[in-house]
Amino acid sequence: MHPINWLIVIAWLAYNVWDGLRRSKNTHEMEGYFLANRSLPWWAVGLSVMATQLSAVTMIGGTGQGATDGMRFIQFYFGLPIAMVILGVTLVPFLHGAKVFTAYEFLERRFDARTRSLTALLFLLSRGMSCGVIISAPAVVFSAVFGWDLTLAVALIGVPTVLYTMIGGVQAVTWLDVKQMALIVFALLAIVVTLLVKLPVSPIDALHIAGAAGRTRVYDFSFSLTNTYTFWSGIIGGTFLMLSYFGTDQSQVQRYLTARSVDEARSSLLMSAYWKIPLQALVLLIGVLVFAFYVFTRPPLLFNPAHERLLIAANPGTFEVLREEYQARLTQRDSAARMLAVAESDSARETAARMFKVSEVGASALRDEALSIVARATRQPSRDVNYIMPRFAIDHLPIGLLGLFIAAVLAAAMSSIAAELNSLATTTVIDFYRRWVRPEASDAHFLFVSKAATGFWGLFACGVALFAANLGSLIEVVNRFGSFFYGSILGVFLLAMIPRARGIGAFVGLFAGMAAVAAVNFGAPSVSFLWHNVVGAVTVVAVGTLLSIVAPPRMRHPTPGS
Amino acid sequence: MTENTNDAGRFRRTLIGVMTVQVVTLLLLWWLQVTFTK
Repeated sequence: MHPINWLIVIAWLAYNVWDGLRRSKNTHEMEGYFLANRSLPWWAVGLSVMATQLSAVTMIGGTGQGATDGMRFIQFYFGLPIAMVILGVTLVPFLHGAKVFTAYEFLERRFDARTRSLTALLFLLSRGMSCGVIISAPAVVFSAVFGWDLTLAVALIGVPTVLYTMIGGVQAVTWLDVKQMALIVFALLAIVVTLLVKLPVSPIDALHIAGAAGRTRVYDFSFSLTNTYTFWSGIIGGTFLMLSYFGTDQSQVQRYLTARSVDEARSSLLMSAYWKIPLQALVLLIGVLVFAFYVFTRPPLLFNPAHERLLIAANPGTFEVLREEYQARLTQRDSAARMLAVAESDSARETAARMFKVSEVGASALRDEALSIVARATRQPSRDVNYIMPRFAIDHLPIGLLGLFIAAVLAAAMSSIAAELNSLATTTVIDFYRRWVRPEASDAHFLFVSKAATGFWGLFACGVALFAANLGSLIEVVNRFGSFFYGSILGVFLLAMIPRARGIGAFVGLFAGMAAVAAVNFGAPSVSFLWHNVVGAVTVVAVGTLLSIVAPPRMRHPTPGS
Repeated sequence: MTENTNDAGRFRRTLIGVMTVQVVTLLLLWWLQVTFTK
């Protein structure tokens, strides 16, 4: 990589650490360290909410998905604005008004200690592991594409983030999130401009070419429980997923608990509702333009160079045959695309589009064959889609912009990791250490333990990230395990708003919800994952309400808040 | 009291803005689909 690109990346990382250290001046007690004394403006909190959700996977996987599958993934986010409005008028006033540090603390006031501890434990288990995955995903891609050592890649992402989160607390996390979002948006716009300049056809023709391959299809109005990305799964399943994530996940709840008032907290969520769909559309559109770019510039058969080398080593004859056939299809596709761009009549455009589609389907089939050989050899899904954007960046972005792109991907990863480390430490200290181990201690002691907890979770996440590359299937299992209880925890919070609901209903309902999600996950009946949260939440509310009514009075554990 | 009224007013204005942006974005995406998808 050119030294100027390295300079940009190193300068950005150094700035993050310096800015984080600067913020440590205002965090001398626990309320300041975890909640910024509830003093942050709504726009900064809103940008932090967005930065936490936008991880490196969005930057590299989202653009890759745009290139291979088009715009339809945007339907996944259709429920987000609805969820934000619902949360703004329901859960946010509850949580902000309760003056709690964590969402789970609220559950003890409303139900009982065991419901609080169980939900907090589930959060620690899933977020602790997912934090490692968030570091590992870009680290693995960067190490393969840029030739970096995996440990170096993990250290580049993990060490500065752990340092500034540990020292600067939530102030450092939030104010750096603001700057990281600005860098990400700037880099995305710069990439769009670069792509438009590099395309040999007009933007409209590029979209016609992408449209001929189905990349501009957005809406799918079919109602299918097994099809993941449809309008209805986005609106209904997506709303429940976003309610779970923004309403009950401490990594997001803690962002808006730092806002000055309930209304500022609500406005911060609405800000995310404003920009999420347009921003995600921009990410996918970059992928669509990358697809159009590779119509006129020969793409590699596989974007992951390590897998390409593996295929050559394992079966050089097959690779050569596949590559030659692939090149022939690409030549046909290129000619058809140029015909499509200059076609003047509707019939000429239709003929060119048909030719383009035939060659595109042929090229895709050959690529799929190569990917399946790699998947058999590595015994893991190839995930080549994650390598499209980084490979495009290193091969085609000009000097400086490549550095900016890498810095933006690092920023996306760091903003998510920092919020997760911050929330993992908060839950560890507030829901376990202060609740069960040492209820009475000085603020200075809790502050010290909080910083130690942040450091511990940082080391844990980096450790998981280093091993994640070799633990592909195990990580999948952990992520799937996480999806079992996401909707169920939402169900417990929904139950909290029903006056007759009691602790026994919440606790048993939580297990019933997880069991229901496990059943549909293993295919009895088979339901796409976006519907899992609906199943979990509805089961918890139904079972929890019923049990609260029928359980004997001594089992109901009435609490002061109820 | 005045601050609370201002906050509530900002929330309402933001809410209307959010809904407007969503509708415009969905219409733009619809235009993208019907114009370019073959």
